[in-house]
Amino acid sequence: MRFLVQKYIAGLLLVAVIAFAAGCESDQSVHQVSAPPGLKTYRHAMDQAPTSLDPTQAANVYANHVVVNAYDTLYAYKYLARPYQLKPNLAADFPTVSADGLTYTIRIKPGVRFVDDPCFPDGRGRELLAEDFVYSIKRQFDPKNQPQGAWLWQGRIAGLDEWKAAGSDYDQPASGLRAIDRYTLEIRLTRPYPQLVDTFAQGYSAIVPREAAEKYGKALGVHPVGSGPFRLVSYDSSRVVMERNPYYRQEPVDLQAEGYDPVEQAYTGIEAIEGRSPPFLDRLEIDFITESSAAWTSFNKGNEVQFTTVPIEQIDRVLADKNPIRLRPEYAARFHMYSGLEAGFVFTAFNMDFPELGYSPDPERNRRNKALRCAIIKAYDWEARNQSWYFGLATYFPGIIVPVSPEYDPDLSRDSVTLDVAGARRLLRDNGWTPENLPTLVYGTTAGVTERLFFEQFRAWMRAIGFPHDKVVRKTYATFGDISRAWKRGELPLVAKGWGLDYPDAENTLQLFYGPNGSPGSNDANYRNPEYDRLYERSSVMLASPERTAIYRRMNQMVTDDCVAMTGLSRTRIYLWHKNVVAVPDREIVGGFFLKYVDVLPVAQTRPEG
Amino acid sequence: MQYVLRKMLTGIPLILGVTLVSFALMVYFGPDMTYQLLGKNPTAEQIIEVRHQLGYDQSFIQRYLAYLTELIRLDFGNSSSGEPVRSLLAKTIPVSLILILPGFLLGHILGVLLALAAAFWRGRWADKLIMAIAVIGMSVSFLIVIIAFQILLCSSDGLNLFPVRGWNVQSLPDYLSYIAVPTLATTFVALGYETRFYRSVFVEEMTRDYVRTARAFGLSSRRIFFRSIFKNCLIPIITRVMFSIPQVAIGGSLLIESYFGIPGIGKATYEAIITGDQPVLKAVVSLTAILFVFVMTLNDILYRAVDPRVSLK
Repeated sequence: MRFLVQKYIAGLLLVAVIAFAAGCESDQSVHQVSAPPGLKTYRHAMDQAPTSLDPTQAANVYANHVVVNAYDTLYAYKYLARPYQLKPNLAADFPTVSADGLTYTIRIKPGVRFVDDPCFPDGRGRELLAEDFVYSIKRQFDPKNQPQGAWLWQGRIAGLDEWKAAGSDYDQPASGLRAIDRYTLEIRLTRPYPQLVDTFAQGYSAIVPREAAEKYGKALGVHPVGSGPFRLVSYDSSRVVMERNPYYRQEPVDLQAEGYDPVEQAYTGIEAIEGRSPPFLDRLEIDFITESSAAWTSFNKGNEVQFTTVPIEQIDRVLADKNPIRLRPEYAARFHMYSGLEAGFVFTAFNMDFPELGYSPDPERNRRNKALRCAIIKAYDWEARNQSWYFGLATYFPGIIVPVSPEYDPDLSRDSVTLDVAGARRLLRDNGWTPENLPTLVYGTTAGVTERLFFEQFRAWMRAIGFPHDKVVRKTYATFGDISRAWKRGELPLVAKGWGLDYPDAENTLQLFYGPNGSPGSNDANYRNPEYDRLYERSSVMLASPERTAIYRRMNQMVTDDCVAMTGLSRTRIYLWHKNVVAVPDREIVGGFFLKYVDVLPVAQTRPEG
Repeated sequence: MQYVLRKMLTGIPLILGVTLVSFALMVYFGPDMTYQLLGKNPTAEQIIEVRHQLGYDQSFIQRYLAYLTELIRLDFGNSSSGEPVRSLLAKTIPVSLILILPGFLLGHILGVLLALAAAFWRGRWADKLIMAIAVIGMSVSFLIVIIAFQILLCSSDGLNLFPVRGWNVQSLPDYLSYIAVPTLATTFVALGYETRFYRSVFVEEMTRDYVRTARAFGLSSRRIFFRSIFKNCLIPIITRVMFSIPQVAIGGSLLIESYFGIPGIGKATYEAIITGDQPVLKAVVSLTAILFVFVMTLNDILYRAVDPRVSLK
């Protein structure tokens, strides 16, 4: 027996040794270039990991933080200008647009190279050509890639839908998307599309070499090969490590052109990058830390992550004032801070396809349903929500044009976001609603304590206007994918969700209520108003102008008047970063473009708080 | 050897059963990945395309047979990130193993030793002290333990001795610095459960008739304990240790890996569960089932080694 036990213990030890060796080896890709002394390294923290780094899946800010730094896009948003403004990135200039607004000609910069990779014949990155852009957009129309970005161009760029219908053969042309020479693109549209250039700043439009897509197939999602400021070193569920792309083009920073505002931004020390060519880092590490306590401890430690958002549970400890937002002195002495509204909002829409509260063939019921929706909106206590969940730091506003949109109307009546319980009760009574005939409100959420509390708060508001306890019920879903399925199938009468702007144009939120975008499209409310749809179609081909803004605002008023949604609230983001980091961090709109401008100073050169 | 082969063969129905039940759960109750892979404004046609790409439009039988084929070839395709599942497992399992193993060994070894002491001095202050500590270990949430240890040992507000998070292992000192706090947290919690379990095993054995008889014959308590009681307790100890192995090897430790930012299989599995990443889930379930069959076989052999009355038939 002793022999057997000895053998067993020896076996266990052997397993341990082998595992240790394998564990170290498996991580070698990370550590071969693991921040040797002298390398300028910046460690960023994000609260979620991207699921894939393939541009076809660049559906959120987490993926875009990596995608737009590993790959090039034709356009980008200016680093410092707010409201956001586009600038040429890989494109040599803004497009030349034909008089009818249907043909765009874009020149790209010559001499740009992909990073070295075994996918190229000699392992050496080749020059990026206009044809690569054509190939990359086609990938969004190839079902094999499970692409998520096709909605930006389907029905807009001529010939792409037909190319897909014909079998997505990359050797076949798409009539409206072609390279007319090595450095020139021509794009023909089916109808004017003023947001087209914005879509070419998205991670979805990032430029992939065909050699890489063919060599790595699905594994391109973990093996990006681009021409962006950084190249990938390693990627796993905990972090991504990138290093400077040695071939990245030399383009000195012009702070004025980037929208620098000395009054607002000088405290960051950003002037130090003037005239220098990014990227300024040798190594960029992005840690994916879902647990806010771990992110906070790591950030405060001083020698780990150098950027974090302020966890909600730390707000009182960190902030001295909320209006204006100001750090306590002990934090102000150590960290820089930026606070601003998100480019997006949260709202709860009524699913108008539910005859109990939406559209009904009976005009009388239609009228009563509208009164019911308006009463629910009056009972929705935005101030309580702001105080309960966002420490009073969020901004709630009427309608669906968010405050960061240039078309936001600050003078719009705030009735739809003002609590009026008496008015709501009166509305219900005057329209024949009683506790007995009120419909059951099914409030769908994902499983979780916070979501449960959201629901209980909503139920309390509804009870205040006469809904019986058992007529406001919660339906839980295991994952976001599951509740998303319920929304897309129109199974829930209430759709509580958030929306992040893809581009800084109110069209991006107005399309959420455009009739033809009904389920399974983005119009989960299934709102169908012919006048609204007509105005949307009219404005969707217009360039930004006072006339277009006026149309947007009319549409916004329609959604408000028809009581289609309880809307909306934009959260305030508070970012902190170490004082030796020169940056103006921003994760809104596409997210991640700022990382190529980040610089890290030796601690001795750190600027005091301005 | 014949027994081992026979046992392995009888494990095949077990593997089939486990894979069938778990696959049915994934298909009928698991998350639907379709809606996570769709763009923001999908069409009905795109939903059909994604479902086709995921194989959701095939019958259950077709999908299960495809799963078995993958199992035989040990190739489960690509995860939702695009990474081949084989490469994902090869990267994450060794990390989890070397992360969890020290805590696993310490938890069991210290658990047995403390349980021995508690049982040996049953009812006396040593027993009460050990059990009180064990109850604390069991009662405090693992999450709280992790956060408390992080603040105490890793943060600038505490002793600041170890990294808060990360996995940057190039040498033994690196390794020790990264596993120190996870190991302490795991051991602290495990000790509570292990000590109580092993103590009850020892105490039960100590109240058997043969112990009373041995005492009547004048044998010393120490001699009875180490010559008879401990030996007879080895069967439940081996069972508990052995059946924890698949959990250590495949399951990893989700909380530890999440809070300490360690890219192990526990985290990968959790993410696969919540996103419905079936290729990863299928691989993890299959490997766990196969490992269980190995462990059961090894368990029987060890039973035979510690108790000659057990026959390997």
